[in-house]
This record gives sequence, C-alpha cells and structure tokens, in this order.
Amino acid sequence: MKRLQENRIDLINKYLQASKLNPELLPEILDHLACEAEERLWDGKPFEQIYDNLMETADTQALLNLSVDHKNLLAMKKSLNDVVFEGRNKLYGAYDLRKSYGQTIQRSVLMGVTLFLLLVMFPNLYARLVPESKPEDIAYIIEANPIDIVPEIAPKPLIEEEVAPAPKTERFLPPVVLPDEDVIVENLPPAVEDLEHAEPAVETVEGSEDVINIIPPAPEVVSSKPATAGIEPKKEEIFGVVEQAPQYKGGLAEMGAFLQKNLRYPSGAARAGIEGRVFVEFTVASDGKIENVTAIKGIGFGCDEEAVRVVKMMKNWVPGKQAGVPVKVRFTLPIIFQLD
Amino acid sequence: MENNATSNEYVRGTLKTIVLNLLAEHDRMYGYEITQEVKDRTGGAIALTFGALYPVLHKLEQEGLLVTESVEVDGRLRKYYSLTTPGNEAARNKTNDLERFIDAVRLLLAPKSLATE
Repeated sequence: MKRLQENRIDLINKYLQASKLNPELLPEILDHLACEAEERLWDGKPFEQIYDNLMETADTQALLNLSVDHKNLLAMKKSLNDVVFEGRNKLYGAYDLRKSYGQTIQRSVLMGVTLFLLLVMFPNLYARLVPESKPEDIAYIIEANPIDIVPEIAPKPLIEEEVAPAPKTERFLPPVVLPDEDVIVENLPPAVEDLEHAEPAVETVEGSEDVINIIPPAPEVVSSKPATAGIEPKKEEIFGVVEQAPQYKGGLAEMGAFLQKNLRYPSGAARAGIEGRVFVEFTVASDGKIENVTAIKGIGFGCDEEAVRVVKMMKNWVPGKQAGVPVKVRFTLPIIFQLD
Repeated sequence: MENNATSNEYVRGTLKTIVLNLLAEHDRMYGYEITQEVKDRTGGAIALTFGALYPVLHKLEQEGLLVTESVEVDGRLRKYYSLTTPGNEAARNKTNDLERFIDAVRLLLAPKSLATE
C-alpha cells in the first residue's frame, strides 16, 4: 500500500484550512481525502491527477455544505445559551453561570427543601432520637410532708383572750339559785332602801351611815384590780349594760310627755326643714342623777343643743342595778325631731 | 450523476441505520472505511459522500450512541467509531424499523410493477 508523502498531506491540509472548514471536522476529512488519494495512487495514477480529482469532489462549495450540514445537525441540541452567546466571549463567566443555572437552581431547591423539611420535622426527629421517658423512669422523688401550721396560729386567739378579760362583773356576788330549804334567810339580797345608806359588801356590817364606808376589798379583788381600787377609790365604774336598766321615773310614757312638753323645735332647723334623731348620751348615777349630758350624734341647726338642754332638765331617774346594787350606768337616748 | 442524486435522497433517511448496522458488525471503523464498506457491499450503487457521512457520525456521537478514539496513523489523526450499549440497542431497533419500512414500501410498489408488466 502506497503512502502519501507528508508534503502532500500538508498540501491537502492547507487547502482544507483555507476553505474555512469546521475545525472539528478537519482532521477526519483530511484522513478521508488522504485515504482516497492513497487508494488511487494504488491504482497507479499520478498524484497531480488525483489531487485535481479530489479538489473537484471536495470543492469549496461541498466543504461549505458539509460545515453547514454538520452545524445544523448538531445545533438541534444547542440550547438558548449557545444561541445567545454565539460569537461572544464565553470565557468571561456569564456563559458558565448561565449554563450551570439549571443545576444551581436544582441544587438550591433541593437544599432548601431539605432544610425546610428538617426544620419542620425537627421536633419529630428529636422525639425519635431522644427516648421518651417512661413512667417508671423517675429521676427524683420529693416527699411533700404537710407542714403543721396550727401552732403558729394558735397563740393569737390566746393573747386576745388574755387581752380581753371580763373585768367588771367579778366584784359582785351573783345570786345563786338554790332549793328553798338551803336558802339562808339572812343572806337574802338587801332591799334597795337598805342600800341607799349602805355600801354593798360581802357581809352586812352595822356602822355609821354618815361615815363613808370604805369596803375592805376581798382578797381576789385585790389581786385582780389593785390599782383601780387604790388610786381612785371614789370613782364609780360606769356600766354600759346592767341587769336592770335605769329608767325615767314614771316610765317611757311619762318621759315622752316630758320631752313633748319641754322640747322646742329650733327655728333654724324648722326653717331649713331639718328632721332626724339626736343621740344624747348621759350617765345615770347610782342615786339617779343625770350627768355628763352630751350629744354624740346630731343633726345640727340647734337641735343638738335643744336636746341636751331638755335632757339636763330631767329629774332624777331610777338608777340601774347590777346584782341588786344601784350603779352608775351610761345611757343613750335618741330624741326624734320631726316636722309636722 | 442523476442516479447518484436520487440514491442520495433515499440514503439521507437511512444513513443513520446503515452506519449503526455496519458498526454493529465491526468492532470499530473510521469514516473512509465505512464509505468503502458501503461501496463494496452495494457494488457502488450507494456511494456515501464525506459531506453526508461525517455530520451523521458526529450527531450519533452527540446522542451517545457512538464513542470515538483517535489514533495517529501515517502522520495524521484517524478517528475510530464504535457502538455504545445504547448504540447497540438503537442499531437493532433501527434495523428492524427499516426492514419493516422496506417491506411496506415493497408492498406499495409491487402491484404497480405487476400492472406495468
């Protein structure tokens, strides 16, 4: 088999390069033409004739058609990017960016979706990875003992009981209910008239009526109220509530008549149309005298003063009694002022 | 020349099949070898021009049916083509398709030829 000399191959090569053949195709066409030339050389033809023949078959037009056909066939696969970047600098970077755009998007979507799913499923995954605590898995046991708070509360009522003693009644001998045969006649409570000239005491002592009888206090009385007895022996205790309340001589009806007769509606109050109650507080002494008259709650416009004036005018009352003994009693009398 | 042109017209549609079929029979072939093979087997009835052959070869390569290897022979690069696995598959399918098509064409043409005779 005859070989084509290198200079002849170069000749064909130069011809092909001059014809602007697609560089991708050039080596193959060169080989093809060379093979053809060699075959004809084998047939014994001179190279010049062969070359002329080749130029005839592979003329410029044929080569151009080949390039165009080749381009058209392959161009079907050409993307928009290839069309856009045809004849432009593809090395600049924009082409690569465009070319890999689809891949980039695909990758980023995949990553985004993965991240999102991870985020959404994180609680679930966490719950699966970290074993759920079983009821028997007890980490700590704390015994809750009830705290006894009763002792702390208890002292308070006790103190209150100590603070509030029942003082004023212990001085007197309460009457005792006994069967008739046990009652000692001598020990019957004294009549009110008897007590007018005698101080109440544990025993009845004959003495001078003029002498102020200072009763020797009973031992228990001394122990419970020494100061009061020592410092102010004369001062009588004022009672709020007694067994037998003080009373206007003649009763409520008499008192009503007295008040009606003496009370004058103050002109100022009458003009202003003032009505209401005036509470007048006073003490009824053990001898029935009215003392310390004050209006503790009034309606004004002269009504208070009027009420106090009329109460002061009252004659002696029947004193209040405690255990049969007349005592000083604080009394509050409401006086109603009412316009007709 | 007129004859050649008409044959080229039919060759254009069947060229892919012809190339794939030839490559299926041979291990590897280069461009000129293919044209020679076609020429020899058809007794010159079908002559492949390089202008038709190489674009098709490149197209098949682009489609992934062929792989190439370049070997330097006598101071010039020679590109050998061989089938890939999908190429083998495609060769079988296309050959079958073409055979069916030829049968169909024959059925279309037969009555007419009978009538003229």
